[in-house]
Amino acid sequence: MKTFVSAFAGLLAVALFSGSANAADLVLYTSQPNADAQATVDGFMAANPGIKVDWVRDGTPQIIAKLQAEMQAGAPVADVLLIADMVTLERLKEAGKLLAYKSPEAANYDPSLYDAGGCYYSTKVITTGIVYNTAAAMKPASWQDLVKPEAKGLVAMPSPLASGAALIHAQTLAGVSSLGWDYYKNLADNGAIASGGNGAVLKAVASGEKAYGMIVDYMPIREKAKGAPLEFVFPKEGVSAVTEPVGILAGTQHADAAKKFVDYVLSEKGQEGFLKLGYIPARNGTPLPEGFPARDSIKVLPLNAADALKNTDQALKTFSTYFKSK
Amino acid sequence: MYRYVRRGNSQPAWLFPFVVAVVLLLSVLPLARLALAGIEALLRGGAYELITDPSLWRSAWYTIETAALGTIVSVLLGCLFAFLLTLTDLPGRGLLGFLFVLPMMIPPQVTALAWVQMSGPSSPLLKALHIAPPLGSPQPLYSIGGIALLYGVQHAPLVYLALRAGLMALPRDGVEAARLSGASGLRVFRDIILPLSLPGVIAGAAIAFVSSIGNFGIPAILGIPASIYTLSTLIFTKFSSFGPRTFGDIAVLSTMIAVIAVAGLAVQGRALKGRDYRVIGISGAAAAFSLGRWRYLALPALHAILFVMLVAPFLALVAGALVPAYGVPLTVKTASLNAFTEILFRQSITRTAFSNSLFLACTTALGLLLVTVLAAYALTRRRDMLSRIVGGMIEIPYSLPGIIIAVCFILVFAAPLPILNVTLYGTIWIILLAYFSAYFAVSLKPVMSAFLQLDPALEEAARLSGAGFFRRLTDIIVPLIAPAAGASVILVFLIACNELTVSALLWSAGTQTLGVVIYNLDDGGSADLASAMSVIVIAMVVIMMVLLEIMAKRLPKGVVPWRS
Repeated sequence: MKTFVSAFAGLLAVALFSGSANAADLVLYTSQPNADAQATVDGFMAANPGIKVDWVRDGTPQIIAKLQAEMQAGAPVADVLLIADMVTLERLKEAGKLLAYKSPEAANYDPSLYDAGGCYYSTKVITTGIVYNTAAAMKPASWQDLVKPEAKGLVAMPSPLASGAALIHAQTLAGVSSLGWDYYKNLADNGAIASGGNGAVLKAVASGEKAYGMIVDYMPIREKAKGAPLEFVFPKEGVSAVTEPVGILAGTQHADAAKKFVDYVLSEKGQEGFLKLGYIPARNGTPLPEGFPARDSIKVLPLNAADALKNTDQALKTFSTYFKSK
Repeated sequence: MYRYVRRGNSQPAWLFPFVVAVVLLLSVLPLARLALAGIEALLRGGAYELITDPSLWRSAWYTIETAALGTIVSVLLGCLFAFLLTLTDLPGRGLLGFLFVLPMMIPPQVTALAWVQMSGPSSPLLKALHIAPPLGSPQPLYSIGGIALLYGVQHAPLVYLALRAGLMALPRDGVEAARLSGASGLRVFRDIILPLSLPGVIAGAAIAFVSSIGNFGIPAILGIPASIYTLSTLIFTKFSSFGPRTFGDIAVLSTMIAVIAVAGLAVQGRALKGRDYRVIGISGAAAAFSLGRWRYLALPALHAILFVMLVAPFLALVAGALVPAYGVPLTVKTASLNAFTEILFRQSITRTAFSNSLFLACTTALGLLLVTVLAAYALTRRRDMLSRIVGGMIEIPYSLPGIIIAVCFILVFAAPLPILNVTLYGTIWIILLAYFSAYFAVSLKPVMSAFLQLDPALEEAARLSGAGFFRRLTDIIVPLIAPAAGASVILVFLIACNELTVSALLWSAGTQTLGVVIYNLDDGGSADLASAMSVIVIAMVVIMMVLLEIMAKRLPKGVVPWRS
């Protein structure tokens, strides 16, 4: 019994010690998948030894919800955000929640990709297109293919309630005259399901539970390289895009470390890291990762950010009426 | 203060007030705060929109439907194993029993992940065996039936244990008398054993039902992809789309779950009321029936069930961790340990989660032990109305779903503490407090039963020789209850280590627990990493359970929950 108690006390001591090593110098909230988030943080810590980063991964809407709950409780934890879309950060900026910081790296970016006041900077371009399982009967080439009878009950898509990219995607397609919100209604009528984030779509299509899906580009392209039975298509109408911007929260206690983080993800080294992970870097003059077609062959559909911001709640509502919870 | 003792009672005057204060902090305050928030939300009228929302009532219905169906599965499985393993001469009963209760200790979301990997077109296991369903087949577990089936598997051990406890107390002489009068085995079973085991079955069914109502891991993994929300997953999704009304809304939803849970327990009380099941006679009905040739049917059947419940899902989980990408069939060529290396050596989140879960589980187990030794002492010595109420208050948080406890603690600690001006919300301490509240009863039970078996003469003698309270505690009581205390610590540790529901709402940067990380990995599309992490967690559970099993011989009866 005594040895048992002392063993337990030892275990407790270890746990206490490791548990108290909790004082991070920087807390990052991100919507990147775990492995990518870890790689990004590792790259930053290697470039800036002495700054310890803790990070949280979740879908963009969930991250924002967590942040809001923490702000309401008067104890925001995050210092830096690295999340799906500019619209969300624009909203935070308007609420005065973001710190303005003019990064010297901004000179290498297209001015449309960052906030003129320095509140946020795009880090990469993530498009949303079509994924299909290589065993599927049809090879989709257009968004309209997903509402064909061949795809009935076989389409999975991320929900805008769980993914920032999915919200922008829905708002982008809704703005295309040949598609519009009717397109989403037709998808719902065709038995498409929308729940969870892009990870859930990847799983559903790779596993063969569904044959087709709407998804962000890097996931299927990367998984295909690992041997998954997947193919990614840039549909002929064009794709939507988000730019995963980085921003610093206004209330941060670690502004210096946060600024270093922003500089790092925008720097050549940081951008190379994203390239290696399979993302299209946002920095001027950077190549595309393996498995992508040439940059000018990718047609990105336009989105009016100001309108998107204004209509977010309405868009979510419209979407929810088509894709009701059972 | 310390010198003052109650006449004829010998406990220091501060002891009982201390216990009451702890119970006020851990049970009464959070629950009262929840009730208040619910009432506030209703009065403000904001709840009208919530209550008239049809999706809420659909969730309430799914909650009841899945829990009821799951309870039926639990009762069928639990009864089969309890009767065969308690009353017959089946060989290898000890091992079978140990394996059967294993699912109870495995975190529900791990069970769900394993079953998902085992079935449907996605299964790496089925693909490896070339029997995977064709493209486009729905995952059959993403359904009401799938959720109910897994509730059944997860909670069958609860029915088994409740029934087994009753069966062990059956009068052997009754059975023998019937046998001597020429009654057949079937007749004895139908006329004597079945009626007398009914209370155990009802009690087990009620516990299984209430546990299903509060389950989060299973409906989160099986229900959300099919847009089937139970009340606990609905609370979770409400919380992940936080708005100005969220705190009020989740208070109302929590109250609904609490009402269903309490109703389930009330039905149990009602069913048992008015019946007298007291039995006199030599108990211990072990091996009352000889199975004879039937054993050749029963033994393979039980093994087959255990294979489907435990072995196959575990193999599927291992297969899911070894495939290089989702949808790739597992072969010798494709297998890779990449997921394990990523989890163990690259992801910092793994270390964070392990150290948080170990810290939380250790601190909860040991911290609660300090409180429970004092509480058990006070409660066993007093035995008055007030102490019974206090005992009841300790039980309540444990019998309520974890998500309610989490909501309660969010409500109490969302705002900075008065005077101190410190915010617990978003720190590890709020999770710790919630664990203290949720597992108080688990920790107390073994210690209480040890106290009840204690001979008061020993302590009396020490008291007469002038030993003070702490002296008696350290020299006499603690050594005597040490085995039970050890069991209490391991039990709480096991349960807290694998917890998801409470921490799912309370975690923040750097305070992720194992359960949260597994859920989040799966949610983010990294099924291989989630599987690898789950395999490690299952290994940990089995090691802890074997440890308890080894200790079991030196423990008072009924302390290790799966032994009797």
